[in-house]
Amino acid sequence: MAAIELDGLTKHYGDVVAVDGLDLTVEEGEIFGFLGPNGAGKSTTIDILLDFVRPTGGTARVLGHDAQRESLAVRQRTGVLPDAYHVYDRLTGRQHMEFVVDSKEVDADIEAILERVRVLEAADRKAGGYSKGMRQRLVLAMALVGDPDLLILDEPSTGLDPNGARQMREIIQAENERGTTVFFSSHIMEQVEAICDRVAIINRGRLVAVDSIDGLRDSTETTTTLTVDVSNADDGAVAAVRARDDVNSASLAGDRISITLGPDGSKFGVLQTLDQAGVTIEDFSLDESSLEDLFAEYTTSQQSVDRDAAGPDALDAGGAGATEVNR
Amino acid sequence: MSWTAVAKKDFRDAVQSRALWALLGVFVVLSVVLSYAYATFPELVGGTTEPTVGGLVFFTSGIVSLFVSLTAIVVCYKAIAGERELGSIKLMLALPHRRRDVFLGKLVGRTGVLTLALAVGLVVGLGLGAVLIGSFEPVPIAAFLFVTLLFAVVYVTVVVSLSATTGSTSRATTFALGFFLLFELLWDVVPLGVVYVANGLALPATMPDWIFPLMQLPPSSAYVLALSALLPDIAESAPGGGVAAGFDAFYARPELGFAVLAFWLVVPMAVGSYRFANADL
Repeated sequence: MAAIELDGLTKHYGDVVAVDGLDLTVEEGEIFGFLGPNGAGKSTTIDILLDFVRPTGGTARVLGHDAQRESLAVRQRTGVLPDAYHVYDRLTGRQHMEFVVDSKEVDADIEAILERVRVLEAADRKAGGYSKGMRQRLVLAMALVGDPDLLILDEPSTGLDPNGARQMREIIQAENERGTTVFFSSHIMEQVEAICDRVAIINRGRLVAVDSIDGLRDSTETTTTLTVDVSNADDGAVAAVRARDDVNSASLAGDRISITLGPDGSKFGVLQTLDQAGVTIEDFSLDESSLEDLFAEYTTSQQSVDRDAAGPDALDAGGAGATEVNR
Repeated sequence: MSWTAVAKKDFRDAVQSRALWALLGVFVVLSVVLSYAYATFPELVGGTTEPTVGGLVFFTSGIVSLFVSLTAIVVCYKAIAGERELGSIKLMLALPHRRRDVFLGKLVGRTGVLTLALAVGLVVGLGLGAVLIGSFEPVPIAAFLFVTLLFAVVYVTVVVSLSATTGSTSRATTFALGFFLLFELLWDVVPLGVVYVANGLALPATMPDWIFPLMQLPPSSAYVLALSALLPDIAESAPGGGVAAGFDAFYARPELGFAVLAFWLVVPMAVGSYRFANADL
């Protein structure tokens, strides 16, 4: 049984299409990254999974239950760290946890969970006085109550310092090893890359890619940029490099040659060619395209297609397509 | 029983409202002053010269209804709209609660808060009055507490229901204040206006019977009317007593107060919970 199954999921807000025919399956036991720029439809999709929002079309199933008709069963077995939430300022951290325990009607060691996310010492202080990072930890603790089968985390690293983000990752991994499926959204590839088994990239409410991290790397043309510092280069040497089959481009600027290689380009071969051309190599560095670049490529090229379709007015919107859906 | 978890959480939260306790302070002072005034100078307010607990109950019902309505607004106007606007509702509804359980839990939790404040104020005010008058009359006190609690439940329901229709706190404020303005401050002229228009832009010599229920439509009027239904003897002699006098239709009787209170319980609850259950948060 799949943990999450989206079938043609669509949500319109008036004329605005927030989610556009999303098909997606998340298997049980996966750590699944849901990636997209701000306003891509990530939060709307998660809101539908939790029945905060009703879809205009299509269906969502979570843990084998219909996300709308059987939402109670879904939420009983799911732990959630929502996006744009607000804690109860006048209640203490402990009272927040008690509310979850009462609501899910489960036994849980509140202190142990608070200890795990490192807010135990603040447990009896009002959450209104917590820092952003502490609130995020508290809500993560609330999500962990009752050992859920599925964790839905919407931008979990928001407000956390690098140390906190690392602890968040460790907790996610530990929960996953216990058998929990983890579905988390992010607009930062780096966070997803580190721990996810598979990734979906969405943009403007549409799925643009679903694959493992390695699969994503392989499926796109990865380019490698080789920068070589030289002391006696001339155009002839650059032309010799450019003549190689595995080189896409090469250019000389002062004492530095920049070379981009194709997918199977041989760095060693390029250096050899330069050496044979009589160039003295002082130093060199490599820059492989990152998944971040890949993500940018996916989400911007898709956008330009959309813009063409939408006509010239859409160009004025500008920016990185970060049109937040306003509701 | 998922609403109990919501009610408990909500009570713990709302009971810490500073505005609530400020209002209670004012209410305690006023009810002490009124109890003292009535016990000392009963002839100033009623026909009798002998102060009774029953008379005190009617004498203080006006200030009680004002306290209940204002406190209900202060405690409840953000009950649901506020949680939606801030986003704390996402923490609540990420848990296994039906929307109608959240609505019910909110009603119970906020009623609890209002009842607690009311109990403090009434024990002080009525207690002082009973001591000064020197008698304890369980029947009028029990009737008074029953109707007052019902009235508090009704007002909480109205304001929470208004709050449930919107995700904007400012709109919820407008609705709650608008309700108070229309039904508690301006309503006196509305039935007259309706009669005036219905009679061809002139006031008739005798008022038609149907103006009576119209006049009793505000929850606070229905509250006093319901009180006089339970305590008819005291109502006759109390100021403003015998409200149904002059009308002879079958419905022109004090029991109508309970019907009106029931109306304000059922209709807002139906509209509010329906709107909330179908909203995109």
